[in-house]
Amino acid sequence: MLDLEMENVTVRYPDLPQPALDMPRLLVPAGSSLAVTGPSGAGKSTFINVITGLERPCAGAVRWKGQDIARLSEAARDRWRAKNVGLVMQEFHLFPGLDAMENVLLPARFRHPRLPAGLRDRAAHLLAQVGIGTGRRGVETFSRGEMQRVAIARALLAGPGVIVADEPTASLDSESGGVVCALLTALARTEGATLIVVTHDTALSGRLDRRIVLTGGRCTGDSAMEAA
Amino acid sequence: MIRFILADLQRLQAGAMIVVLLVAFATALGMAVRIEERALRLGSARAADRFDVVIGAPGSETQLVLSSIFLQPSPLALVSGDVLKQLSQDPRVDHAAPVGFGDSYHGYPIIGTTAEFIEKSGFRMEGRGRGFSALSEAVVGARVPMAIGDEFSPQHGLAGQAAEEHHEMSYRITGRMEPSATPWDRAILVPIEGVWHVHGLGGGVDDLDPHVGHDHDHHEGHDEIADLGPPWAGDVPGVPAILVKPRTIANAYQIRGDYRTETTMAVFPGEVLTRLYATLGDARLVLTAIAIGTQMLAGTAVILVTMAHLSQRRRQIGALRAFGAPRLAVFAVVWSELLVVIGLGVAAGIGLGYAGAKALAILFTRQSGMALPVTLEVSDLAFAGMLLAVAALIAAVPAIYAYRQSPAAALRG
Repeated sequence: MLDLEMENVTVRYPDLPQPALDMPRLLVPAGSSLAVTGPSGAGKSTFINVITGLERPCAGAVRWKGQDIARLSEAARDRWRAKNVGLVMQEFHLFPGLDAMENVLLPARFRHPRLPAGLRDRAAHLLAQVGIGTGRRGVETFSRGEMQRVAIARALLAGPGVIVADEPTASLDSESGGVVCALLTALARTEGATLIVVTHDTALSGRLDRRIVLTGGRCTGDSAMEAA
Repeated sequence: MIRFILADLQRLQAGAMIVVLLVAFATALGMAVRIEERALRLGSARAADRFDVVIGAPGSETQLVLSSIFLQPSPLALVSGDVLKQLSQDPRVDHAAPVGFGDSYHGYPIIGTTAEFIEKSGFRMEGRGRGFSALSEAVVGARVPMAIGDEFSPQHGLAGQAAEEHHEMSYRITGRMEPSATPWDRAILVPIEGVWHVHGLGGGVDDLDPHVGHDHDHHEGHDEIADLGPPWAGDVPGVPAILVKPRTIANAYQIRGDYRTETTMAVFPGEVLTRLYATLGDARLVLTAIAIGTQMLAGTAVILVTMAHLSQRRRQIGALRAFGAPRLAVFAVVWSELLVVIGLGVAAGIGLGYAGAKALAILFTRQSGMALPVTLEVSDLAFAGMLLAVAALIAAVPAIYAYRQSPAAALRG
């Protein structure tokens, strides 16, 4: 379980006068859940890239359980991400030609020459939890809802301290979206992971502990502040 | 990871096939040039092996060797018959045989020579055959489609030129030679006297009935009377070339020296071939340069195809990184996928090059009778290995490109 502390984080791009992200301070307690909303171009993707270590901020600190990942090298951030972050994306990024089980195990295969003992069982357990069978069918034959459920199982494989989801329901119909929504929140709780979701889906954001709104790279609304 | 690479390759079959074909053709070209050139060298050296010294009238040495040993018809100047006579009496000479170009029969050249030559120069007879002992008898090479006992009338003109039949002369086949993998396999050997006669050169057969052998009922046994040389009696007509077998190596050098005069030329076929190979080597250099050019083009095409393909895969590669795949793993995936595809191409190219060289050699043998020993040698595999090594370097370019790609940028696009 990881808590997030962002301090004076800014991200600027050479061709833009305004910073893409300007976050003086943000605290997300371990085990809590946070929804990030806002219009397109508000800096939501940059926010996700920065907190997962995909991108290094120009300035500031991104501390997960006290460790500032902004100071890590690219390879170290790759390692840290593989160990601590479960990513769920709008476009699933499953790999065609491989079955559900192989897709869930794929990130681990890139990390370990031989799969650690028990990982296959854990993958099967996770697939059962998201309601996907372990058949040999290639994932390209799955429905979109099923694909996202496989992606959730994949995100949870390493037992990450935080699950980061980027518009996980945006490309799904409302029924599958509802299922994915329920799975994400329930599994984050049972796995004891902090949950951060970028979403426009009010049904999803409504289930989370806290909502912030990003506009022009800044935090312009925070349900925690309003409540206080 | 291997399963991922295989699944990936399967998904990209079409593009992979194009790269395999490109690489295969480029490799095959290089291989075929190497194999064919070596085969030509070996084949011609083997064909010339049994001939020690060739003597002819002064002129082109290459032409003399090509005509007398490889039986390529060409209008050679004649060397005096006295030379032939002199040589066949020379104690340093085991045997000396004239090579005269007669007419042809269905594209097979008719070569006038002596029975002694057939017997002594290592050509073996098939089964119950025997050499010729009369003017109307002939011996055929293994690739001539005629059987012992068959009769034929020569057609005027050299092999390859269509012409009317010579009705005044007909031959009966008394023997077939075993395959020698030389142009002599396509030859029809007849007594040189017959060739002289056809060309109106006399040579001890002036008094011969012009219908010799044609009409057996009336002239039974007539042609058996004519003495076939050697020994040569009276005036011996000129011949285009004389194949000489000296008794010793020292004799060979002496004879070559003695017959390098104003009216004669003496050569060791091996020497002439060596000079020819030097020319052939230059040709090979040109062909090799062309092959290398093709390989470079193929290499460039492979890089282009791969880069185009990589930019389509940016998101996939970005996703791999996002899920925590190390950069080195991304490098390994792209590099090994390319290497598998290029490796398949090189392997297919070796097979294709070998098969192509073999097919060419078969065609060549059918045309010339000379066997081209097509072989795959360690050096060829080393050559393929070198191609693969270069390919591995080339494949590293897109792999490094993938390695350096930022996962965030890849996902955003």
